[in-house]
Amino acid sequence: MSTIRLRGGQVYDPTNGIDGELRDIGIRDGRIVELHPQEKVDHDYDLAGCVVMAGGIDLHTHIGGGKVNLARMLLPEDHRARRERDNLLELASGGCCTPGTLQTGYRYAEMGYTAAFEPAMLAANARQAHMEMGDTPILDHGAYVMLGNEEVFLEMLARGEDFERIRDYVGWSINASKAMGVKVVNPGGISAFKFNQRKLDVDENHVHWQVTPRRVVHTLARALRELGVPHPLHIHASNLGVAGNIESTLATIDALEGLPGHLTHIQFHAYGTEGPKKFSSATRQLIEKLKAAPNVSIDVGQIIFGQTVTASGDTMRQLANADLGSPRKYVGGDIECDAGCGVVPFRYREQSYVNALQWAIGLEIFLRMDDPWRVVLTTDHPNGGPFTSYPHLIKLLMDKSFRDEQLARLHPDVAAMADLREIGRELSLYDIAIMTRAGPAKLLGLTDRGQLGVGAAADIAVYREQADREAMFATPEYVFKDGTLVARRGRLEAVPTGGTHFVEPDYDPAIEKTLERHYREHMSIDWRHARISKDELCSCSNHGSLLPCKLHGGGRT
Amino acid sequence: MNTTTLAPAPDPSSAAAPLAACAPWTCPFCSLLCDGFGLQDGDPPQLLGSDCPRATKALAAFARPAAPVTPSIDGAPATLEATLDAAAARLAGARQPLFGGLATDVAGMRQLYRLANACGAILDHAHGDALMHALRPLQDRGQMFTTLAEIRTRADLVVCFGTDASNYPEFFRRCAPTANSELQRRTVFVSTVPPAQAIEGSSVETVTGQGDLFDTAATLAALVEQRRVSRPAPELAELADALRAARYAVLVWEPAQLPAHGALIGETLLRLVMSLNRSTRAGMFALGGLDGAQTANAAMTWLSGLPLRSRVGPRGLEHQPLQYATGRLLAGDEVDLLLWVASFGPNLPPPPTGVPRIVLGHPTQAPHCAEKGTIFIPVATPGVNASGHLLRADGVVALPLHAIRDDGLPGVADVARALDARLALVAEDAR
Repeated sequence: MSTIRLRGGQVYDPTNGIDGELRDIGIRDGRIVELHPQEKVDHDYDLAGCVVMAGGIDLHTHIGGGKVNLARMLLPEDHRARRERDNLLELASGGCCTPGTLQTGYRYAEMGYTAAFEPAMLAANARQAHMEMGDTPILDHGAYVMLGNEEVFLEMLARGEDFERIRDYVGWSINASKAMGVKVVNPGGISAFKFNQRKLDVDENHVHWQVTPRRVVHTLARALRELGVPHPLHIHASNLGVAGNIESTLATIDALEGLPGHLTHIQFHAYGTEGPKKFSSATRQLIEKLKAAPNVSIDVGQIIFGQTVTASGDTMRQLANADLGSPRKYVGGDIECDAGCGVVPFRYREQSYVNALQWAIGLEIFLRMDDPWRVVLTTDHPNGGPFTSYPHLIKLLMDKSFRDEQLARLHPDVAAMADLREIGRELSLYDIAIMTRAGPAKLLGLTDRGQLGVGAAADIAVYREQADREAMFATPEYVFKDGTLVARRGRLEAVPTGGTHFVEPDYDPAIEKTLERHYREHMSIDWRHARISKDELCSCSNHGSLLPCKLHGGGRT
Repeated sequence: MNTTTLAPAPDPSSAAAPLAACAPWTCPFCSLLCDGFGLQDGDPPQLLGSDCPRATKALAAFARPAAPVTPSIDGAPATLEATLDAAAARLAGARQPLFGGLATDVAGMRQLYRLANACGAILDHAHGDALMHALRPLQDRGQMFTTLAEIRTRADLVVCFGTDASNYPEFFRRCAPTANSELQRRTVFVSTVPPAQAIEGSSVETVTGQGDLFDTAATLAALVEQRRVSRPAPELAELADALRAARYAVLVWEPAQLPAHGALIGETLLRLVMSLNRSTRAGMFALGGLDGAQTANAAMTWLSGLPLRSRVGPRGLEHQPLQYATGRLLAGDEVDLLLWVASFGPNLPPPPTGVPRIVLGHPTQAPHCAEKGTIFIPVATPGVNASGHLLRADGVVALPLHAIRDDGLPGVADVARALDARLALVAEDAR
C-alpha cells in the first residue's frame, strides 16, 4: 500500500484535543502514521484552505434489514427521480428516504462518512441485516440487536429468573446475532401490542407478562455493563411521539439508576402538554435532567421538512400513527415472538404546528446541551429525514442567521413562541467534529476510529473551508477509507467493501439449554440456526473485514 | 408421521445417519425453508423425519446422472470456459436482455445484479405474476404481516382464503400450536376445500364463498367493517363475527392461486386485516416466494431500491410491474436475449422463445436446452450441492443452506461473476 501525506490542513481532532491546528497527517497501509517532513511519499495532497476531520460515524441510521427493505417496497415513488449513470464505479441504485444499499454507501461516503450503525436489528432478521449492510459499500457497519420484547426475555423476567441467567442470555444474543450492542424499543411494548395492549407507561405492567418497562430497561442496562459491552443500552423509550411523553423519558432515565444508557432520537421523546394545542417543547426539563445524569448520552433524531418514511420496531406507536401517514400507506408486522416492525410514510410540513415544533425542539436540544460528547448528530435516518440532509442540519447548528431565516418560515405560533429564537449559540467546527465522529466513536468503544492520532485507521474527510457550511459538508474535497481515496469532490474514486464491527461478550453457555427448549416449543427454526458463525457472517456481509471490538474491563467479572 | 419440528438427533451408530449431521439441513424446495428434517445420503438423497411430497419429489431430481452433464452451445457439448465466452459474447451483443427465472439464492442475486448493470437487463422472476399480486397491494396500501412463530404461539383463528396450502405441505405443521398450548384454534377454509388430513391442534371448518373470490373478499371485508351487506351468506357473517372476536386472527392467502387482477383481492384482504387491528389483533401470511422469488425480490430491492420487474437503464432504474413481465416481453419481442436462471430443480424450464437463450439451470434441464440459439450451463443447487442463503416466505427469516455433497458444479454466483468479468474485458476493448 502507498504512503500519503495530507499537508497543511486545519485539523479538528477532538479525541486528541486538536482544535483547528495546521498540521500534516501521514498515512501508510491504511493507518495514520508519523511521517518525517522529508520522507518521500507516493501521494502528497496540499490541503491549504481545507478542514480535516476523521471520517463521519453515524451511530443511528436505519440502513439495513427487513423493515428498511419493506419501506423501499412501500415507496417506489421515492425512486422516480433518476440520474444519469456517469460513473462506472457505481451500480444503479436510487432513492432518497428509502435508498438502496448501494446508494446508501455511495452517498454517505461522498459526504465524508465512513461508518454507519443500524440500530434495530431483529435477532430473527439478523442475517438479512448483515447482508444489507454488507451490500452497503465503502462504509464500515455494525448493528444493535433489539432485545426487551422477546417472549423468552419477558418470560424470564416474569418468573423471577436470576439476573445472572438473564445476563447470560443477553451475552448469548449479542454473540448469536453478531451485534455491536443492544437496543430496546418501547420496552415491553412491542410484545404488549401483540396482546392488544395499546399503551404502556414506564411503570405500567405488560398485560400478559406483568413486567414494567422500568424493569426491562434496568435489567438490560445492567447486563450490558456487566458484560463489558462498550456501547450503553440504546434506548428508544416508551410513548414515542405522544404529547407529554417527557414524563416517560425522565422516568426511563431514572430507571437506569446511574447505569450507562443512550437515549436515541430523543427529539421524539421530549414533548410536554402545555399551550392551547396541548403539545409543547419539554427541552428545558430534558436538558436539566441530562445535566444531572452524566451516565446518559443522546442522539437527537432531528426532523427535516419534506417527504420521508418512518420505520421502527415500535409497532404499538407506529400503528397509532398510521392514519397520519402521507402518502397513506402502512406496513406492520408481528415478528417471531421476538419483535415487530411498523413503517409509516411521513411528510414533515413547515406549516404544521406539531412538525414545526418538533423541528425547533431538535435544534434546541443540540444547542442547549452543554456537553457535546454526549450528543450525537442524527436525523434517525430516515425517520426524521434522510441522512443526506446532514449538511443542512450542520448549517442550522452553525449559523444563527440561517436558523432564524428558517424559523421565520414555520407555523406562525412556533415562529413567534419557540425558545429557539432566544438561543444565540452557534456550534463550532470542533463541536461538529465531536458530534459526528469523536463522540460516536467513544460511545461505541471504537478506539481507533473517529480520531486522527497515530495508529488510528485512516478514515479521513477533508472539506474545503467555506462560509456556507451546507455546501462545505455536502461535498468534501477528499474522503479516505482505510487510507484509500474513495471520493473526490462528490465523485467516487473507489468502492471497497466495508467491515463489520461486533462485540463478543463472555457468557455461561449453560443458558443454551433454556434457549434450546424455548426454540423447540415456540420458535420456527432449528435452535442451531439461531447463531450466526463468523464464517457465515463473512458470507452475509459480503466478505468485508470482521472487526471485533474490545470489551470494557475485559468483559464479565 | 413425525410431527416434531426438530431435526432428528444424529445417531452415529445408525447406518442411516443423516448426511447433514454437522448442521441442520435447510430444505430449499419451498419458501417455508423447513430446517427440522434430516437428510440421508443416497441416490437420490432421502428425507428423514418428514413425508413432505414437495421435498421428496424435488430430491428425486438429485440422483447422480450416469454421465456428468456438460455445458452446451446450441446443443453441442462444450467446455465451461468456451460456454462462458460464448455467453458473454451474446450478452455483450444484446440490446435489451431479460434476466428471467431468477431461481437462485442471495449470492446468485448479488452477482446477477452486477451483471444486469453491465448489460442493461430487465429482471423478472419465474413467479413474477404471483409476486406482483403480493407486491402491488404493498406498493399501493401496505402490508400487515405475521410470521410462523407468531402464528404458532398466538393464532386462535386461522382463515385460509382461497388456498388449502397444499403447495406448502408443511405449513400447518410449522404453525401448529405447541403441545401444552392452551390455544383453542379454529382453521377455516374459505372458497376452497380443506386438506384431507387433520390439522394438528386445530378444528377445521369450511365456508363457501359468496360469488367469486373478489366478491367473497369484498363481502367478508364489508361484514368485518360492519357495513351494510344485502343478504350475506350466514357462514360468512359468522366468520366476520369470529374474526372480530378472535384475539389473534391470521389470514392466509396464496397470491399464485389468484386470478388475473388478484392484487385487488390482496388489497381487500389487507383492508380487512387493517380494520380488525383497530380493535383487536390480526395479521396476514402470504404463501408465496417459491423458487427463490422472495429472495430475488428482496435482494434486488435492497441493492437497487426497487423490486423486480425493473430495468437497469442508462438513466437509472425503471420499475414496471406489468410491462416488464417475462411472458409479455417475450411475446412482444421486446427483448432480444433471455438469460434464464433455475437452479433448484427440473421445474421452471426456460420458456420457449425465438430469442437466444442462456440458461443457468439444474442439470436435468439439459434436454430443454439443446436447441440452436441456446447456451446451457448446469449449475449447483443451494442446499444440495452448494451452500447459500434464502429468505423465508414471511420475508423476515433468512436461513443458511448447507451443501450435502459436491458435484463439481459452479454456483449461479460463480457463473454470473465469470460473465461479468468477461463483459468488463469486452467493454475495455471497446474503449
